[in-house]
Amino acid sequence: MKKLWLVLLAALLALPAWAGRVALILDVGGRGDLSFNDMGFKGTEEACADFGWEMVEIQSATSADYLPNIRNAARTGKFDLIICVGFLLADALNEVAPEFPNQKFAIIDAVVSHPNVLSIVFEEQEGSALVGALAGMLAAQYGYPYVGTVLGIEIPVLYHFEGGYRFGIDWGLKKYAAVTGKAADVGLLWVYTGTFSDIAKGKAAAEAQLEQGAVAVYNVAGPLGIGILEAVTAKLAKEGREAGPPFMIGVDANQDWMGDGNKVVASMMKRVDVGCYTAIKLVQEGTFQGGVLSLGLKNKGVGISRYQELLDFIDFGIKAGAITEADRARIIANWQAMRAAIPEWIWQAVDELEAKILSGEIVVPKPETREEMLAVRAQYPLTR
Amino acid sequence: MTWTWRGLRPILESILAGIIGLAAGALIMWGWGYAPWPAYVALFKESFGSGYGLASALANATPLILTALTFAMGARAGLFIIGAEGMMYMGAMGAIALSLLRLPAGLHTLLALLCAAAAGILWGLVPAVLRAFRGVHEVISTIMFNWLSHFLAFYLVANVLVDPVRAEKTLSVAKTSRLPLLMRGTDLSLGMVVAAGLAFLAYVFLWHTVAGYEIRAAGANPHAARYGGVSPQKTVLLVFALGGAMAGLAGAVEVMGRPPTYAVYSGLTNISGFGFDGIGVAMIGRIHPLGIIPAAIFYGGLQAGARLMQMEAGVPFEMVRAVQGVIVLALALPELTRIFRVFRQRRKGGEA
Repeated sequence: MKKLWLVLLAALLALPAWAGRVALILDVGGRGDLSFNDMGFKGTEEACADFGWEMVEIQSATSADYLPNIRNAARTGKFDLIICVGFLLADALNEVAPEFPNQKFAIIDAVVSHPNVLSIVFEEQEGSALVGALAGMLAAQYGYPYVGTVLGIEIPVLYHFEGGYRFGIDWGLKKYAAVTGKAADVGLLWVYTGTFSDIAKGKAAAEAQLEQGAVAVYNVAGPLGIGILEAVTAKLAKEGREAGPPFMIGVDANQDWMGDGNKVVASMMKRVDVGCYTAIKLVQEGTFQGGVLSLGLKNKGVGISRYQELLDFIDFGIKAGAITEADRARIIANWQAMRAAIPEWIWQAVDELEAKILSGEIVVPKPETREEMLAVRAQYPLTR
Repeated sequence: MTWTWRGLRPILESILAGIIGLAAGALIMWGWGYAPWPAYVALFKESFGSGYGLASALANATPLILTALTFAMGARAGLFIIGAEGMMYMGAMGAIALSLLRLPAGLHTLLALLCAAAAGILWGLVPAVLRAFRGVHEVISTIMFNWLSHFLAFYLVANVLVDPVRAEKTLSVAKTSRLPLLMRGTDLSLGMVVAAGLAFLAYVFLWHTVAGYEIRAAGANPHAARYGGVSPQKTVLLVFALGGAMAGLAGAVEVMGRPPTYAVYSGLTNISGFGFDGIGVAMIGRIHPLGIIPAAIFYGGLQAGARLMQMEAGVPFEMVRAVQGVIVLALALPELTRIFRVFRQRRKGGEA
């Protein structure tokens, strides 16, 4: 009997290893955005390398392609997992998922409620609290009257960012008072620009905040970061300096390497790559289940940028052609000098807040509706 | 006998051009290290090898038939109307705007279609008047109007018709004004019947009515037509109006008949490019309304097959587009050469 088992085991091992296949469906933004789509590709590529999977990438020429692209991928029956990158694909997936109940799907940054769909969302408020604490302490330390943020369209997911940022600033100011024994008088400048694409609006909004004395402007509007960075660079040039303060705070990807490494003090990373990697890993391990998977600090779905991520994302920038190999050493040196110029206790305080969120000692508010957002604004008004 | 030959010749030319285009596309793929045969198998299996594929091809063809008709109408009258793109945006906006009203199904659909057609006609009015009474060349004016339409539509999508809870898109077209799907689980809607029906009507109009004859006469020989009592102003206005209506309807069938969102995305990402693709389709269809129908279905099939070329043959998206471009260019060549020949002759005639 024992022998039979051994023979069976040997036969199983002799079979070719099961290699999964994943389809990665992107929205019209496509590759090369240095953000969402490129990160989705990065995470999928890494998972495929680790688990021996095969990836097929499907780009969409127009947004009318979302539905047929997903449906076609499902119809082939060849994919162990179909990943839809971005909330724009949610309507189409919502239509297709019930048509193919045995096909596993994952969607990033949206919730699609079908039993065969894994919806991967992010705890943006946790990462935002960390950059908020950093910004608050920087303003107090350097004697700036304000911290700033430029947001996109006022939609519920952005409330996570705003709520977390407000909480973090307040925590940072209290920390400053505890460490130095001095109370800081720092306010928050915030504006919803109503756009995720009008870069000029982002620049104008950031200019206004910097003029009033914002120590850092948190980009919560994706591509508008380009305009925010331009405004920061212009402000620094006017003051005859290259490195901040004032700074920009990056979002989604690690944007620290932009602006030569010394203008983006930190980034609130929303790791789409971790989301894609996790989805593939769950299928590989046989534990894939429909439902909502929320990625926060705990599972490295969000976080504040550190040295290792700088290196990763410089590679990412070089691969995308935004910078060249020749820039690498200079960016790293500039970034290290920028961070070293900030007092060590501030970085320790950021680490402390992170540890407290991780341990559950601190729970960051996560406003989901307008009413909840108004309540958080009333709790942390941050006016001066 | 000669009649049969004259009718068949363009078809044979197009088939030959298609074969040359496919061969050139295969050569490109082979040159870059992709296997052409499995790629073409995937392409045609998906587009024409299954009911679902055919439905996708027909769904893609629907707006293209209409924008191709805009160009073909103009070309038959000797006009180069490049403005279907802008007219289509306005048609889509018109269809969404009208669907905000509350009306019974059926009537609602009909009125939304009419509103879209009217929006397309209005958008062509200024270039038409400039051409008819001031001689401003329609290529210049319609290209400019495409940009005006682009930015106006951007504004309308972001500020006026925007969905308050989902700012990435406009409000969705009301259920009562949607075009019903002809096949469940596909994208194929009643819009295809509308488009094909209009193509047939355009054929009847151009070849079997006096006004249509006058349009073709003006295109074939403007001097002779004027001498024969055809008003060039009337011809220009009529052709622009018909073309504007078609392009406006193209916008309507796309937003009213294309699941799942039934809205325009910010950045116009789901209604962009059809006007320009329509020019290519009109060329492939030899600027003949009845030729446009198979041409658009073929073009739509190429688009549908592109997905499987990525999925099954592993050919990257950019390469798929390049191969499609070569095939379309080859197919358009016979008509392009004919048009340039006619124009050169006309210029010579004008100088003589």
